[in-house]
Amino acid sequence: MTHVAAILSRFVATLATRSRAVAGLCLAMVLGVLTTACDEPPTSTQAPVLVKTEPGTLIFHPSTGPVEVTLVNVSDQPVRVDRPRIDETTPDWVAFTVGEDASATQIPAKGSITFHVGVEAGYFLGPGDARPAVVRGGEEPEPTAANEFREGKSRLVFSVDGVPHTGMPIRFEDPSWVTQYMLPALVKILLLVLGFIMPLASLLTWMERKQSAMMQDRVGPNRANIRIGGLNLRLWGIVHFIADGVKMLFKEDFIPKRAHRALYNLAPVFAVAPALLVFAIIPFGDGICYDQLFQPLSGADVAQCADGRGGTPLQVAQIDVGLLFYFAIASLATYGTALAGWSSYNKWAILGSLRASAQMISYEVAIGLTIVGALLVYGTLEPHALVKAQETTYWGIVLQPIAFVLFFTAGMAETKRAPFDIPEADSEIIGYFIEYSGMRFGLFYLSEFIETIFMAAMLATLFLGGWGLPFGMLTAGGFSSALAATLFLTAVGLGLTVMGVLAWRTSKAGELFGAVVALVGVLHLFGAVYAAFTGWGTAIPHVLVVVLGMVIWGGKVFLLCGVQLLVRWTLPRFRYDQLMSLGWKGLLPLSIANLVITAILVYLLMPGLTPAS
Amino acid sequence: MTIGVKKVSLERTTRDQIFLPAILEGLLTTARHFFKNTFSPGHGDVDTIRYGEPGVDPADYYPERFRGVHRLMHREDGSVRCVACMCCSTVCPARCIYIEAEDRKDDAEKAPHSFVIDELKCVVCGLCVEACPCDAIRMDSRIHMPPSELREEAVLGKVELMKRGGPSVAVQGGLGADYREQAPKADPRFSHDPH
Repeated sequence: MTHVAAILSRFVATLATRSRAVAGLCLAMVLGVLTTACDEPPTSTQAPVLVKTEPGTLIFHPSTGPVEVTLVNVSDQPVRVDRPRIDETTPDWVAFTVGEDASATQIPAKGSITFHVGVEAGYFLGPGDARPAVVRGGEEPEPTAANEFREGKSRLVFSVDGVPHTGMPIRFEDPSWVTQYMLPALVKILLLVLGFIMPLASLLTWMERKQSAMMQDRVGPNRANIRIGGLNLRLWGIVHFIADGVKMLFKEDFIPKRAHRALYNLAPVFAVAPALLVFAIIPFGDGICYDQLFQPLSGADVAQCADGRGGTPLQVAQIDVGLLFYFAIASLATYGTALAGWSSYNKWAILGSLRASAQMISYEVAIGLTIVGALLVYGTLEPHALVKAQETTYWGIVLQPIAFVLFFTAGMAETKRAPFDIPEADSEIIGYFIEYSGMRFGLFYLSEFIETIFMAAMLATLFLGGWGLPFGMLTAGGFSSALAATLFLTAVGLGLTVMGVLAWRTSKAGELFGAVVALVGVLHLFGAVYAAFTGWGTAIPHVLVVVLGMVIWGGKVFLLCGVQLLVRWTLPRFRYDQLMSLGWKGLLPLSIANLVITAILVYLLMPGLTPAS
Repeated sequence: MTIGVKKVSLERTTRDQIFLPAILEGLLTTARHFFKNTFSPGHGDVDTIRYGEPGVDPADYYPERFRGVHRLMHREDGSVRCVACMCCSTVCPARCIYIEAEDRKDDAEKAPHSFVIDELKCVVCGLCVEACPCDAIRMDSRIHMPPSELREEAVLGKVELMKRGGPSVAVQGGLGADYREQAPKADPRFSHDPH
């Protein structure tokens, strides 16, 4: 075993020292792959598809109302379609109806028509008291258990220029609560919490110290290292967070003699739980379709999946009151602070918790009124719909620039970190967690960083288009155009290459890392060239689009965390009275003014949304 | 050169009161430092000397009067200069110098039978060097006391201390036996003594 490790470490060390050669080798490989990829694609012998249905497969659940279906003409000449109908040869055709809005029409080149398809869910309901009579000709449905829906299939058919089209499969299913809600939610929670929040939060503990050091011309933590074989990996001190975690876990867990033991133990939980809970409403991607991962999908497909039919939205809880839920839960975090201060039996601690409560009140109001502006513009409280609305119009930062600044300020106050670290106030009172030690303190510490990440995620969702790119460059099927793909890949490639080369030059430790980053950047640049010449990028496999969206979302959150750290280490602290006057006399009037102006502008410029209509 | 007076307005301007321009300015400054230090070789403006890193010799950075590990100086014949006068161990505020004297056979002076310094107790104040009348103990070795795993390793004896030492150019015992004749005379013009 040690032998293998030694060989591996030798190999990595060689890679590190020969990074130039490795980079060259990889470049040659990339060139080879690209030249083969650029070859002529095999020509298909089938007749070209003139009309596409969106979504590709229509899925109904018992509670689904009439669904909009679009026929898109993908050819270059206008085509004529007859009135779409349900295929009578399929067993369950009687249950489905094509809406009155469907008709035989001419679809212009690149144009589309839209109509509705509905379902009578009662048809699929097994024999029971509540079963409605469905008599419309056709076969008697198979008997099923009482009051349970069975699965059914049908097909929407039509002909294009007289030639029958393959049509659109229709499915009716009634997934159980477990498969529809619980399992996907569990997977998403694990992915989000264990795959993103916790790693990033612990990384932020290192990043804060390293970034502040770099900003103040210091070196920062760089001692902790991992030894694999003969290779000493120091990685700019990143592994410090592991050392910190181990230290926190093994330190003495001290409880003051006169503390209220139960509340003292509960307070860290009250601090961390709301911080993690509010992430439930954050969408980190559009929707994911389980059975169509490797083919390009249309917007309607993904919208159907995001609605929970045939897929799941990439959001733990898609609730209509999303932002209200956030206010409700985020305010609970104050309980953690207040209880920690009160139960510690320490006057500094209780001062800290009182300050925390006062600060929370003065900022929650401003935050709430700030968001109302965005609510007026986009007309929804549901974060997923908010992001979708930004995709089709403009990002929140363009439509609500003042709200962005106000929300950023108030959000930083909400995280209880400098310049709003009144509850903590290292220099006056040590803060509400003064009596805590070991991992209990660690939880408070971590919850601050989790709140930082949440604020970044919230800013990204409300004002920076969530998982999307500016100008709707990233759509459900891929990039909106080959130009968008080229632009995105060029920007990312240039950024990564420059960063990699710079990291390469900084130190010997950075050589391997820098080479890898630069290599990935160069790969992106090749991709950009490929996209520019072949028009690639408008139809990418679904799973790639999902991953791309998640990466973009993660990148935005990471950068916003960095900006928050930058602010935290640049600005001096506010005094208590300054903080209060900023909150009540600065942010509150400004957010009200922003709200009033937004309301007037919305009334004047968006007549479709006026109450009169 | 005349002294110029720069008048600073203490009036609160609108620019001050909306905070944002000043905040952005500050953020730009810190961001500039961050990017420069992160992405330039040798960490840009960071002046920290990375002692202990390979290729960094602390001795290159220690100032001339740096007080390091003690050393005992030698006479011309290589024997220890110390005459066991106990000045250093008396003045030592940390009481970390332990000397046992013995008779020096070849002249009228004493010599240390054992000379032990507990470097763990030493507060590196340098008073022993100042107290020494015959330039026997010095702290200019330019060596930082290395960390030791055992307590005994940090307690240095005469042999270790002399290993770092060398011959001193000072005259042993100051000016010598006829120091009264060699000593400079006071200028009689400024003498206030009655003649």
